[in-house]
Amino acid sequence: MTAKNIDLSVDFAGVKFKNPFLLSSSPVSNSAEMVAKSFEAGWGGVVYKTLASGRWPIIHPSPRMNPYHQGSTKMVGLQNVEQISDRPLKDNLLDFLYLKKNYPDHPIVASIMGFSTEDWQYLAKSAEDNGADMLELNFSCPHMTIEGSGHKVGQATALLESFTEAVKKVVKIPVMAKMTPNITDITEPAVFAKKGGADAIAAVNTFRGISEIGRDDWIPKPNIFGIGAESGYSGPAVKPIALHFIADMAKCKDLGLPLSGIGGIETWVDVLEYLLVGATTIQVTTGVIHYGYRIVEDMAEGLRDYMASKGISKVSDLIGKALPNLQETDHFDLERQGRAEYNYEACIGCGQCYIVCNDAAGQALEWDPEKRRPKLIEDKCLSCMICSFVCPVPGLITFKEMPKEWNRKETVVMDPGLEKELKYQPYEEVDLKR
Amino acid sequence: MSYAEHFQDMEKGIGLAHAIAEADRCLLCYDAPCSKACPAETDPATFIRKFRLRNITGAIRTIKDNNILGGACGVLCPTSQLCEKECSATGISRPIEIGNIQRFLVEYGWQNGFKVFEKPAVTKQRVAIIGSGPAGLSCAAELAKQGYQVTVFAERGEPGGMIRFGVPAYRFDKNFLKNELQDLYDLGVEVRCNQRIEGSEGAEELLADGYAAVFLSPGVWGTPRVIPGAENMQGVVTYPEFLVGLREERFEEFGKQVTGKTVAVIGGGSVAMDCIESASKLGAKDVYLIYRRSFAQMPAEEDERLEALKLGIHFLLLNQPVEYLADSGGKVKGVKLLRTQLGDPDDSGRRRPVEIEGSEWVLNVDFVIEAIGQIPDESVDWSSAVKLDRKGLIVAEADTGKTSNRRIFAGGDIVRGPGLVVEAVQDGKVAARAIDEALSKA
Repeated sequence: MTAKNIDLSVDFAGVKFKNPFLLSSSPVSNSAEMVAKSFEAGWGGVVYKTLASGRWPIIHPSPRMNPYHQGSTKMVGLQNVEQISDRPLKDNLLDFLYLKKNYPDHPIVASIMGFSTEDWQYLAKSAEDNGADMLELNFSCPHMTIEGSGHKVGQATALLESFTEAVKKVVKIPVMAKMTPNITDITEPAVFAKKGGADAIAAVNTFRGISEIGRDDWIPKPNIFGIGAESGYSGPAVKPIALHFIADMAKCKDLGLPLSGIGGIETWVDVLEYLLVGATTIQVTTGVIHYGYRIVEDMAEGLRDYMASKGISKVSDLIGKALPNLQETDHFDLERQGRAEYNYEACIGCGQCYIVCNDAAGQALEWDPEKRRPKLIEDKCLSCMICSFVCPVPGLITFKEMPKEWNRKETVVMDPGLEKELKYQPYEEVDLKR
Repeated sequence: MSYAEHFQDMEKGIGLAHAIAEADRCLLCYDAPCSKACPAETDPATFIRKFRLRNITGAIRTIKDNNILGGACGVLCPTSQLCEKECSATGISRPIEIGNIQRFLVEYGWQNGFKVFEKPAVTKQRVAIIGSGPAGLSCAAELAKQGYQVTVFAERGEPGGMIRFGVPAYRFDKNFLKNELQDLYDLGVEVRCNQRIEGSEGAEELLADGYAAVFLSPGVWGTPRVIPGAENMQGVVTYPEFLVGLREERFEEFGKQVTGKTVAVIGGGSVAMDCIESASKLGAKDVYLIYRRSFAQMPAEEDERLEALKLGIHFLLLNQPVEYLADSGGKVKGVKLLRTQLGDPDDSGRRRPVEIEGSEWVLNVDFVIEAIGQIPDESVDWSSAVKLDRKGLIVAEADTGKTSNRRIFAGGDIVRGPGLVVEAVQDGKVAARAIDEALSKA
């Protein structure tokens, strides 16, 4: 199979997208000018910046974002306290018309946020009447302070259900509810959205976070003239947590709705992982804020080549494919054990493995100071593999399963002579095999 | 552009982003090889780790506490031969730019007003340091930290020795040095300038005046002459006259003799390279490098040699000067050269140049700079105070600086011959330890 035969298109709640890559509702989808440019770059669709009815003024704080850098790696996280669209509803709807006219095969998902039932219905109808192919109900903006809005709705399941229901009454296009991660069990509100009639779920919105605090003024950033606020934190740093929310919903038997995955996506590998835990489409903001719309080229090309190499011709064949392998920890086969395996020939002698094994693992490495090489004491290796995480040479340290008769040495008691001073009654041992 | 401007543009160090990127590449080795490779015990593994973990003040402290000239070493040290040569990251791609990070950190401290040192209380005896180059300043700093009252005697108008008056300003300028010296002054060290100490007699006088010990670090400011008997010919100068003259900003005086003229530099070491580049910056029409062996035998670092080639210097390799020719006014107008070829290795391990009979030829020149070696200044005699070797260098123990005189210690180039700044710094440090030990017992 060659990459040319790969079909990246997906059917998502009845709407056809030419590929699963969508801009999420955010600064990167603020106007038709921006969205048109993203379509030219290759994005399959857009969740347009959340529409407001205009009944309440929307003013963005200034400044409104703050990066979380890690050494010279920029923006592993991003905090953003921008509000929903501050443009007049009319301007946004005109931009919908422009996009539908010029990019008819690129679906527009209109994100909306109301402050009352009437508000929600008004926005839903306006969006549908001006070409929106789908709605996304923003129940999850993490920095709205008005009760009954943003993530406060996402946390109040009854409100969430009733707003969804109200919207469903007035539109024919599919409705997707966007969930907040600022909650313990995301499936609970998602199921209430389904009860309200939602056709799909988008998750996650940003996490409430504090990305940085000024060291001279002790004001959290972004510093809005002397005040900081907990607000939406996103980017690669949150991806593992976002994936868990998607997986939880995908596995939830009561839900059974198509999912749009969001959180820290920058590359085709991120996309693949979202698909494998059950997302049908994915949405991106921080990745675009970091690199621009151009990243979609590498998502598409990378995913196509990957699918070709695996003989998979359509995206739907990937969706949820990791879920059977994702279980609770009591499913582990603890009888099977292994250890680290070193390819000493490739070693460059930095000794980071030696440091971490001694300070954070099983003291299973010795060090030859002359040759500057580690030496594994095999039966002390805990198989935690942290040595391989710090090793700068790819593939030097690998995991190797050991035969059943192999045994690991127990961690040494410093002074067995202290036993006479011990105050201790053994507890009945739990049988792990049972 | 004025002459002065040509000599002021010391290359800028790397910026914060570059420094962070380099620190990020560092593998933070166990028992790091870079930290074992510095003659002055610099510990890059520790200061890079501190920088990486956002302990930037701690990183600066690690550098400066070990080496009062940590900034200068970051600029001047041939790191590719020392710490960076040992860097484990070479196994992945290329060494970490340790020298650049070191310089960055020291300058960052200056720019942000971070002071590493507080003035220690004076609790111990007075010590005199003769010579204000790297060895002397390093010894002074260490002694001051131990509570000694230290006075440095500098022969010229400013302290710094070779790094102030020998190294061209475009490689190491006086503003950089001024910052570095401020760290020394923070330790309470006194520096007296324009104080030429007249050899043994001068040292004995200081001891008689109440200084409990003397550290001798006058450097090597003399040079062997290329052609005996031609010392007074006009238009022929030695490297100290030329380089010190430029560091004293006597640009017009040298400009008259060099700008638009044909200049010959004789020698193959780093000092000869400095003379070449300086002559070139003064606007010489042609600069010839005359060296009696071949390119590979030149003591100058490879990058210095390549730099000279790029500057358009004409390398006259395998040529031995045998005579200067003068015009009717007694000014040099040519150098008579004999071609050589390489024979068997000599004591230095390099192949010996053997003159080819009858191969004489004359290179027409307007100005000649001799730079064939650095030896002690013959006008100063230390021999009645301390034992000298046959080259006139002071005999001192490598790891203590102890001389034949129990109250006189010595280090730097006057002991080891021309060496690196880091080596001189280390000499000063070990001598300070030995002086402290000796005076604590006294």
